[in-house]
Amino acid sequence: MRAQVSRRTIFAFIGPAVFGLAIVGIAPLLYAGWTSLHFFNLTKLKRIKFIGLENYWSVLTDEVFWQAMGRTFFLLCTALPLQIALGLGIALILHKPGLGLLKTLARLSLVLPMATTYAVVGLLGQVMFNQKFGVVNQLMGGANINWIGDPTNAFAMIIFWDVWQWTPFVALVLLAGLTMVPGEVEEAARLETKSWWVVLRHVQLPFLLPGLVAVLILRTADTLKLFDMVFTLTRGGPGSSTEFISLMIQRVGFRGFDQGLASAQAIILLIITIVLAQIYIRVFYKEV
Amino acid sequence: MKLNRLLCSVALASVMATGALADDSDWSYKKAAEPYAGTTIDVVFLLRPGYEAIEAMLPEFENETGIKVNVIKHPYENALGEQVRDFVAGGDLDIALIDLVWIGNFAENDWILPIENFTSNAAITDPDLDLDDFFPLVLDAFGSWNGTVYGLPFDNYSGLLFYNRCMLEEAGFDGPPQTWTELKDTYGPALTKDGKYAFALQSKRNETQSADSFARVLWPFGGSFLDEEFKSNLNSEESQTGLKFRQDLMQYMPDGIVAYDHAEAVNGFAQGDVAMITEWSAFYSTVVSPDTSSVADCVEIAPEPKGPAGRKPALGGFSLAVASQADEAEQAAAWLFIQWATSKANALEYLERGGVPARQSAYEDPALAEKYKFVPALVESWQDGVPEFRPRFAEWPEITEIVQEWGTKIMLGEVTTEEGAQEIGSRMETVLEDAGYYSGEKPLAQ
Repeated sequence: MRAQVSRRTIFAFIGPAVFGLAIVGIAPLLYAGWTSLHFFNLTKLKRIKFIGLENYWSVLTDEVFWQAMGRTFFLLCTALPLQIALGLGIALILHKPGLGLLKTLARLSLVLPMATTYAVVGLLGQVMFNQKFGVVNQLMGGANINWIGDPTNAFAMIIFWDVWQWTPFVALVLLAGLTMVPGEVEEAARLETKSWWVVLRHVQLPFLLPGLVAVLILRTADTLKLFDMVFTLTRGGPGSSTEFISLMIQRVGFRGFDQGLASAQAIILLIITIVLAQIYIRVFYKEV
Repeated sequence: MKLNRLLCSVALASVMATGALADDSDWSYKKAAEPYAGTTIDVVFLLRPGYEAIEAMLPEFENETGIKVNVIKHPYENALGEQVRDFVAGGDLDIALIDLVWIGNFAENDWILPIENFTSNAAITDPDLDLDDFFPLVLDAFGSWNGTVYGLPFDNYSGLLFYNRCMLEEAGFDGPPQTWTELKDTYGPALTKDGKYAFALQSKRNETQSADSFARVLWPFGGSFLDEEFKSNLNSEESQTGLKFRQDLMQYMPDGIVAYDHAEAVNGFAQGDVAMITEWSAFYSTVVSPDTSSVADCVEIAPEPKGPAGRKPALGGFSLAVASQADEAEQAAAWLFIQWATSKANALEYLERGGVPARQSAYEDPALAEKYKFVPALVESWQDGVPEFRPRFAEWPEITEIVQEWGTKIMLGEVTTEEGAQEIGSRMETVLEDAGYYSGEKPLAQ
């Protein structure tokens, strides 16, 4: 027997959430869509006019935009594998039986980097990677490495901070996946083989996949919108070496005040994100 | 008959003068502010010494007038964005804080009001306002746009050469370099050794790159951003000489100079790692205070070195103007505050508290030069500056972004000075064309 729920009840429960989402998420998106079709510069509001897809054309043909996009994906492709490898290692260690208290402490301390505000991470980075007084150069035996002022080093520094901040997240997600593996299955597998790789590949990995896909989607989205940490640390410099896509959009929209162009860039970025998320789900995601 | 008329007119004039005096002596901020007591005015301040100075003096103004000044503090890099958003949205700001390169933008958008709107009202205008007392260059560059005065100069800078006398003496120099070439060819090699550097030119990719680094090497060498027709002048021989000079000078600067902002350059100097910097007058208090400087006793100040085209030192600074979005009472209260903050009467106290007033009368006392070593160099620099050191038109925020990007790429050697100048030039011309300068839609004012 199915309980009859009236349409009114359904609307009453779902309505507020939809309404909230519409106000917070959808209305600004529509507004950005509208803005992106106009010449809309905050300092030239008298000259707002409809220009069709011209902003999109400017973005798609702008070398600087694609360079920033390339840089962003390069960051994603270097930082994410590191995060997954390190995160999986940490998760496997924490999943081993024994040392209960220490493991609880370790799990708690994993939350700390994630709980640190992005902007603060950037400021910390400025101090720690300072060429002259920074603790990083001190720890490297008084090395005189110019971290912030050198394009390659500055990029490496961003990768380091991203890995530092988000490896724990990957570890916690994968640890949750590992605890889903039924104990008897894992035990049986260990009786069959001594190889940890075989256990991981054939028994644990299927349970880790949903978590991994979530990590992929979330980290990709996070990297595409990575802003605060880089802004406070290098401000996109030196030159353009750490100008990722979000920094570029902010620069165009709020320092050059060209809201129309910035909206077009943001919408193109949104489309790319959605496409990527779809690909991830189709290619990697399988129900256990 | 003639004598009679003369006597009559002298008498009349003296009557008028005493009458005026009587009126003047009657005027006070307290009295002028009576109708506006209780009004709150909102203003953006920066995190810099000149603002701390006026904040310390604020209670005096608030007690006398009953006007409350609500200060919202931002670092420089956020100040433009915050104000633009406030003005676009019809927000709360009653006073605009205007960097000289923002004035065209603010004025063309009608976000600020000409002071004429207020000076015509004697009830709220200080009889001792005396606009002629401001350094003409400063009033013109910081406060005026297209011949109209909008703001009064408040936080005023000129680029100065800060040098470490002890390091220079040790290397056998008895004074600072007089020219940029001398700085590079003579002082550079002699002072760059043992982990110390002759010079640091703050060049970080923000307004610092455009104002402190890029423009600083254009003007003394005879270059400029634009020619008379508003086309790029960056590939001219003079501009290129300047930009190449900067590349060459980098060998005497610390590594990673493209990541140096004001703080890094000033600290490098204050820690004795760098012998000379060209910095804004506003940082004087930092380098001479033993709390923040280990070379306080060695600091000396000179005007910036000369180039083939003259001194043409960096020019920067802020004025305060009444915002058009304020209501009538707020506008009057704001005007009173602006006059008070930039007044002759308060100039000396402002100076003593760490600010740099733009009042000529404030610097008349020769004893000041001993107490504040930057004063003679500052006064000299303000005789010699270029108002359009950076163009002040509404398009500057877009153009400075281009200069910042390609200026740092030039310094990093990613492009040559010619390629970089070409990129900046063509992008800059696109912005100016869109704005309507080439079609005659807009007058060629910078």
